[in-house]
Amino acid sequence: MAVWDLSVTLEDLGAEAPPITVSVTSDLHIGGVILKLVEKSQVRRDWSDHALWWEQKQQWLLRPSWTLEKCGIHADARLIFMPQHKALKLGLPNGLTIRVRACFSGSVFRTVLGICKMLNIRRPEELSLLRPVEEKKKKKDKDLSEEVYDLTDVPLTSVSRPCLYNGMPAHFADSPKTEKVYKMLSVPQPAPAPEAIAKLYRPASIVDKAHIHSRCTHTHTHTHTISTFTSLCSCLLSFLLTHITLATPLRWLDSSRSLMQQGVQENDRLWLRFKYYCFHDMEPKYDAVRLTQLYEQARWAILLEDIDCTEEEMMLFGGLQYHINKLSLSEPQAMTSTPAMDDLDSALQCLEVKLDVGGSSPQDLLDNLTAPELNDYLKIFRPKRLTLKGYKQYWFKFKDDSISYYKSKEESLGEPIQQINLKGCEVAPDVNVAGQKFCIRLLIPAPEGMNEVYLRCENEEQYSRWMAACRLASKGKSLADTSFQSEIQSIRSFLAMQQTNPSTNSSQTDDNINTHSLVSPRYSKKYKTKQLAPKILDAYQNVAQLSLTDALLRFLQIWQALPDFGLSFVVVRFKGSRKDEVLGIAPNRLIRIDLGVGDVVKTWRYNNMRQWNVNWDIRQVAIEFDGNVNIAFCCVTADCKIVHEFIGGYIFMSTRSREQSDTLNEELFHKLTGGHEAL
Amino acid sequence: MDDIDAMFSNLLGEMDLLTQSLGVETLPPESSSSTSKEVNFTMGFADMNVESLNELEENDFDALMADLMADLSATENKLVAELEEQKDAKVANPDLPAPPRELSSYVVPSLSTTTSPDTGLNTTYTPLADSHIPSFSPPQPPQHEKPSMEDVEAQIKSDKIKLALEKLKEAKVKKLVVKVVMNDGSSKTLMVDERQTVRDVLDNLFEKTHCDCNVDWSLSETNPELQLERGFEDHENLVDPLSAWTRDSENKVLFQERTEKYEVFKNPQNFYLWKKDKKTLKDMKDRDKELLVEENFCGPSIIVPDLEGVLYLREDNKKSWKPRLFLLRASGIYYVPKGKSKTRDLVCFVQFDNVNVYYGKEYKNKYKAPTDFCFVLKHPQIQKESQYIKYLCCDDSWMMTLWVTGIRIAKYGKSLYENYKTSMAKAQLTSAWNNRSTTTTSTPSTSSTITNAKASGKANGYAPQPPEEPVANIGIEPPPPPPLPPAQILPPHPTVKRSPSPNATTKKLPSLPTKYPPSQATIFNLPAPPLSQDDSSESPPDFLPPPPPLPDPGFLSLPPPVSFLPPPPDSDFPLPPPPPDPAFCPVTNRVPKPAPPPRQLYMGADVPAPPPPPPPSFTPTSSVIKTAPLPPKRTTPMQAAPPGGGDFMSELARAMAKKRANQ
Repeated sequence: MAVWDLSVTLEDLGAEAPPITVSVTSDLHIGGVILKLVEKSQVRRDWSDHALWWEQKQQWLLRPSWTLEKCGIHADARLIFMPQHKALKLGLPNGLTIRVRACFSGSVFRTVLGICKMLNIRRPEELSLLRPVEEKKKKKDKDLSEEVYDLTDVPLTSVSRPCLYNGMPAHFADSPKTEKVYKMLSVPQPAPAPEAIAKLYRPASIVDKAHIHSRCTHTHTHTHTISTFTSLCSCLLSFLLTHITLATPLRWLDSSRSLMQQGVQENDRLWLRFKYYCFHDMEPKYDAVRLTQLYEQARWAILLEDIDCTEEEMMLFGGLQYHINKLSLSEPQAMTSTPAMDDLDSALQCLEVKLDVGGSSPQDLLDNLTAPELNDYLKIFRPKRLTLKGYKQYWFKFKDDSISYYKSKEESLGEPIQQINLKGCEVAPDVNVAGQKFCIRLLIPAPEGMNEVYLRCENEEQYSRWMAACRLASKGKSLADTSFQSEIQSIRSFLAMQQTNPSTNSSQTDDNINTHSLVSPRYSKKYKTKQLAPKILDAYQNVAQLSLTDALLRFLQIWQALPDFGLSFVVVRFKGSRKDEVLGIAPNRLIRIDLGVGDVVKTWRYNNMRQWNVNWDIRQVAIEFDGNVNIAFCCVTADCKIVHEFIGGYIFMSTRSREQSDTLNEELFHKLTGGHEAL
Repeated sequence: MDDIDAMFSNLLGEMDLLTQSLGVETLPPESSSSTSKEVNFTMGFADMNVESLNELEENDFDALMADLMADLSATENKLVAELEEQKDAKVANPDLPAPPRELSSYVVPSLSTTTSPDTGLNTTYTPLADSHIPSFSPPQPPQHEKPSMEDVEAQIKSDKIKLALEKLKEAKVKKLVVKVVMNDGSSKTLMVDERQTVRDVLDNLFEKTHCDCNVDWSLSETNPELQLERGFEDHENLVDPLSAWTRDSENKVLFQERTEKYEVFKNPQNFYLWKKDKKTLKDMKDRDKELLVEENFCGPSIIVPDLEGVLYLREDNKKSWKPRLFLLRASGIYYVPKGKSKTRDLVCFVQFDNVNVYYGKEYKNKYKAPTDFCFVLKHPQIQKESQYIKYLCCDDSWMMTLWVTGIRIAKYGKSLYENYKTSMAKAQLTSAWNNRSTTTTSTPSTSSTITNAKASGKANGYAPQPPEEPVANIGIEPPPPPPLPPAQILPPHPTVKRSPSPNATTKKLPSLPTKYPPSQATIFNLPAPPLSQDDSSESPPDFLPPPPPLPDPGFLSLPPPVSFLPPPPDSDFPLPPPPPDPAFCPVTNRVPKPAPPPRQLYMGADVPAPPPPPPPSFTPTSSVIKTAPLPPKRTTPMQAAPPGGGDFMSELARAMAKKRANQ
């Protein structure tokens, strides 16, 4: 058989080094080529991770037993011998960037699996990689200074679930540096400076705005999808569409092809995001990183108005963020120290001890029976009475869940002038710190309706105590409740917030978080700090008792209950229709949205779906539903592979709950999402 | 130690004072209305007065008394047992406080606060205190023989204190006597304490009414003044909403089937896919329905149906109704201001934390509403016309159901689904049970029961209580609304009258555990109170005893052990306590205390199996108590061994046997 020369570039020798030429025959297998190559290179090192990349064909030659003939390689082939694992800069949902060693030769699905294993994120099939949006020039400088956490030295473990050491996977516990990275991964990041959010959002014109929206699709949709679609008026949208079609490449990477095949180079930047919005089997105990990153992704989606929410919802999100920030700053150990408690036995023991303590000291129990009180001179005002008497001073006593007041302190042993039970009442602040006005507005339910009562306190101190008491009582808790002190604390800190001038507020301290960094720019603009703070405080009261984990979960719950949750949008043209429409892809259904009105025109559910086909030649997706319902559409902006992958991916996700085993059925995933290219 | 001791005795003294004073000022429910249909109880600070009592329907009275007994005995027995143990003479005092009741008097129309049954009690009580001290040792292991006396003493003291605290707690429990209007217009009276959920009360009513227990049965409140109606949710506490009623309120509590209660779980597509055409919805496959429920209720967060549509809002204090585009979200109801976009500019109309949703009845007339399909959002405490009530009107009844259900989902979330599952379990077990019980007819012998009880280690968990009713009654009486003969004393036992005849008893017996492996079914139904000695006290199943019987099979569904007989109402009445079943004593099941042997003894010695049951059921008690192995000492309400009850019971039993013999 004829011997011919094959030239192979050795990446490790540098780009300028001349290719090495080896003499081969057509029936030599790939393994043999590599052997000859290594011998000839005279470089002694571990080559086990290296493989041949065929540049023209954009493919890896990964089967050592295949012959050159079988691979179709001739003398003109330009091959590169390079490592399969290379460094990648990875933007995480929390906005930080890490450097990891990722697999460039396997499918992106595989690559994500590897990355997630290293980061200790379970259920990696829910995540994928996408290209970041093009950074604007002016941002470049900031990017350069950005800290990149290097994890390339961290060995990828082969264990299926890394054993925990010191509350973190063993491979993170190696050095203080990686330990720090793990904290960063598993504890929510502090709130961004409001300026940072605002910087992302200062649309000067409608064009800017559209552009920004296309930028902001980054969080979890590729460029061809339009999140926040419904928030855009149609003219914006049409602009957006042209903009997208002209300018940007695909954002979500194709999960059935490798990074190399999709033009990703070593040290490129990619984003790791949750792509499929069904988060299976969330278990805070094992999912510290996953939970935190998901929270971060949700938080940014809300802050950047990727998903719409009402003012009330925004304030609750704000309150939760405030709470989470506070907890993660004050006890960064919270997440990592829990594994110590994992042991059921120790938890039980702990409980026992508590019970013992409770049982052995009846004295304590007795003490608890005598409730604490508040006693003070306050002023009361009842606007309901038509006379404009204004505030009148009385001696007030707060006990259990009711307020009684007397003419004076001396008469407090007798019958009160009135006793007001606060259970079920509405409590609202009426405060002007600058004007030294500290009022509590109470709406007290009575058979005839709600009675409005204002209590005026002298100073912040008094106000904090009485306000806290009123809030507890409105929820049916007494002053003896353990949350009383923390309630007072949080009221104080919110009062402090209103004192500070917004301009001096940019330098945040630990316990003083700028409320503007907790809401989206829309509400930042709408309200001044002193208006915003009470609103957030109000929402915060309802969640203040949650643990860090519970608060994260609550945040995600509310996020998932939003009507638009989980929708990824693609612009499509339905068969037989002349105009572009938007297809929304949700975890359980497809929706068709009219561009003009923004209304949902039609909904199809996956569980009624018989089959779907993709005609790769004309880029058309055809879907058949029960009852002979057939739809077909071309993807105007996106590749139909994206739609195909989303639908197949969601169907794959829905099979997980039925399967009891924990193993990931990778084959099924590729079958459902791969398309003809994968075969 | 000493100071604790002192403290304790102080405490006890105080409690005594407290209860005594309560005893004086507690009032019997007085009937205020002459019609037998709607008796509104009001409470005044008058002395107990026989006439007013007579005015009560007998079953009301009965229910009341029985409940009081159950109550009392539950708390006091254990107390007495405990204290007797310590030979604390003070406690043996018959004045023992009637425990459970709020200090403040609480009055609600058609409700009345619990009255203290001291009068009846004291009599019953005395026998407890006497003679049988040794026999009560059950609750307490023979500590006197135990070596470390100090430890034991310390233990005793701390137990005493715990007990006292418990009692204090118990005394704070608020109770209401509630009159429930049945479907057929009749009514039943029951006592509800503040810890009981609507589910507990429903279960209780199931027992009383022999209805089919399907999931649609619900309790609801009506407010005639505002023409409102609302079905209580099963997880709610009943006492809370009722406490909001005004003194002169004509509100009622209804027991009825409401199909819309759990419709969302039966036909979720009608709510979650409401935009689809009617035919698709109707043809929905069961599997798809399940999926819908799963998707919306089993995920990490509850998904609220995406309702939106034009509703008419009643303008404040005006007579006009204005159409507005409303949207339902998990966080509340929103509307779209004129000319604003649907997503960005939503204005919050109401959030659900502080309001409940009610159906408005006939508002076309009352408020000139566009249609009669109105719903109302208001704070539960508001009972009268007020600007704080929000009135909304829908185009048709279907939209109204959609909105009200949607709001309930948003407000109650997961609890709604939990409630449904519980109801389903209950309904299924009941039907299964009914099917089974109708087929069984044989009469298991008492002894077999005993062995069963003994053998099955489960006896503890679910007392295979003899659910007499289904068996005995089903054939005889139509199940659902129990046609209560007015003269009947014990409402729950429609068969009571018959009980004297041996036949009746045998009929009841089939349900004994032997027949049914102690399956969940048995427990669940326990439609009627168990008949043995202990039950006799709790037999008036008219009210739920404090620890509500959970529908969960594994759960100790037993009402608190009680050892007394309800005060025999009057000599005019037929047999006071129904309980002719010697077979089972649920209480004993609680604690690993095999009651059977003594019983067997007794049976052998005294009464041949066939003879009328009542006597056996009582006498055994005493013997049980005497010989029963000592149960682990406990201060919890679980405490079994009714201390003195047995004695009294046995006396009563003897008396009855005598009476019977005379006949």
